[in-house]
Amino acid sequence: MSDSTRAAPRVPVEERLFSLVLALVATESGLTKDAILSTVQGYRQRFSAGGDNASLERQFERDKDDIRDLGIPLETVTPPDEEGNSQNTRYRIPKGDYDLPEDVTFTAEEITLLGLAATVWREGTLSGESQRALMKLRSLGITELDPVIGVAPRLRTREAAFEPLRTALERHLVVSFPYIKPGDAAARTRTVAPLALVQHSGRWHLYALDVDIDERRTFLLSRMLQAPRSSSRTFEAPDDAESFSATALRDLDRIWEGNVATVRADPNTHAWFRLSRLHGSEAIDGDHFRLHFTDINILADEIAAFGPEAEALTPPSLRAAIVQRLTRTRSAHSDAEEAE
Amino acid sequence: MNPRTPGARDKLAFLLSLVPYLLDRRHSTVAEAAAHFDVPEDQVRQSVRLIAVSGVPGESTQYQHNDLFDIDWDAFEEHDEIIITHLVAIDDSPRFSSREAAALIAGLQYLSALPEQADRDVVGGLMAKLTRGASEAPLQVAVEQGAADETLSEIREAVASERQIEFTYINARDERERRRVDPLRIDSLDQNWYIRAWCHLRSGVRTFRLDRISDLTIIDAEITHRASDVTLPDTLFQASDADITVTVDIAKDAVPLIDEYIASTQAGESPDRVIASLRLAHIAGLGRLIVGLPGVARVIDPPEARQQIADWASRALSRYENDRRPSASVPPGHAVD
Repeated sequence: MSDSTRAAPRVPVEERLFSLVLALVATESGLTKDAILSTVQGYRQRFSAGGDNASLERQFERDKDDIRDLGIPLETVTPPDEEGNSQNTRYRIPKGDYDLPEDVTFTAEEITLLGLAATVWREGTLSGESQRALMKLRSLGITELDPVIGVAPRLRTREAAFEPLRTALERHLVVSFPYIKPGDAAARTRTVAPLALVQHSGRWHLYALDVDIDERRTFLLSRMLQAPRSSSRTFEAPDDAESFSATALRDLDRIWEGNVATVRADPNTHAWFRLSRLHGSEAIDGDHFRLHFTDINILADEIAAFGPEAEALTPPSLRAAIVQRLTRTRSAHSDAEEAE
Repeated sequence: MNPRTPGARDKLAFLLSLVPYLLDRRHSTVAEAAAHFDVPEDQVRQSVRLIAVSGVPGESTQYQHNDLFDIDWDAFEEHDEIIITHLVAIDDSPRFSSREAAALIAGLQYLSALPEQADRDVVGGLMAKLTRGASEAPLQVAVEQGAADETLSEIREAVASERQIEFTYINARDERERRRVDPLRIDSLDQNWYIRAWCHLRSGVRTFRLDRISDLTIIDAEITHRASDVTLPDTLFQASDADITVTVDIAKDAVPLIDEYIASTQAGESPDRVIASLRLAHIAGLGRLIVGLPGVARVIDPPEARQQIADWASRALSRYENDRRPSASVPPGHAVD
């Protein structure tokens, strides 16, 4: 940070950003970078006419990113006969695309409900984003009803893969990650074009196009052994009629519906209690339950965790997976010769 | 790399939101604006001062008086009142970003498990409005819409009408008891729902898991303790001096799944393993906790906990002893990769 521009009078960052937005909304034909750096508040103080403005230009690049991050449509316009001459690129924010459409209005009840929806995220970038959305909603001046009391919902995104995937999703970047399926000896690297992130049965899934086989697949974030790495490769998302997240959730629902297990639990035990309250479980015969599942290995983890209180009856593959888990646990805890 | 103060973007969003609000109100006070946006009054004052001297370079490129916002300075300095007397460039609320719209949409979908939010038409209508109000298509992040739970709905009603409730509860030690409580708040953490309540049996604030509650009845008696009378701790579970410490060797991926029990962690034998120190009220539920984790989980200490897990796994395996010896094969693949 040794550049000379640091010595110029300091204009707070938000003042510079605010001035840039105002200047770009006010212009119809757009402003060139030179015009922006030499006249807009916060830049002009540090602009050197005819001198080196490289650090100021980098500042402008970062400011554009920040403004676009807020959902402000900052456009570039290059005159058709001057392609390739970036000196003549003009920047502007079309007011019609900046303003919230007039027909998007909210009732007091709706604003209150959205206020509760925003509290669902309490950590990470999603929390900041939902608070910013609320701020924009409040700019409409609608008085909220009394906040919903007596409810404190909270949703987390605990998987380290979540944020990198969300960024890749936003920028349409192809990503790769080592992925291990239970029972696989080693992880295999998957390269995919992310289409949606969905939470189903309490777990986050990535719905993506596997570019190596050109087929869509659903991945569990918890099985990604390392945070996904974005490549510089972008992709064009397929043009589906339905949103990708809706398709992904429907596919998972269908899998859940189609997979059925039967489990026996000793009456009045913790296991029996939990199974009888489980979403979609059906009691048959007092101590038998029919349940649905999306992933047999996850269900095996859950049933094995009931220990002696419960026993999977069908399908046989579920029984085998549970026996495998319990055997592994027993041998990991017996101090005699550990053999697996 | 980025020397930016983290709050600059948020401050900008506030400036862009405050302007249309003040224009719409025509006349407002610092206190009103601060209450409406739920921010400190000083933030409003600072922002108004900044707006009042901001504008566009204008034809002269010199930020002439007419190119700037202006406010009634006397009303502002003397009475804390805000009246914008001249505006430039912006007058409307900004659109949502694709991430902002997506965050609210996913939050709404999650809330559909709550009885009063179960009206799918309302949720669907709001999602459509957020989509139209975003500058780009909302990011594809979605949450399965939960089915409304009948017990949750009854408890919600009891919280709202300040009635006591009674239910059968099976605790983590597998003890069943009839509990009478003043329900204070419904909390959730991912797919689990909890009731924070004043428990008449224990004379204290307790947390109950919804899926361990049965035979619920709403009692025709007012609650004796209100949420405002007691302190509801921020965390669902509190450490106690009587807790025991158990050391486990688990997969790194498993850490977030049991983070509420973890007191400390250290590096394990390989990069994907972690040695974690857990604080538990008792070891009765330890098997349940660690067998449900992905990958191999192993208790290191204390020895009696190891023994208990080995016995527990043996008893569980005895239910399967007539099966053929398990082959090393894995269950056939399902559609989730």
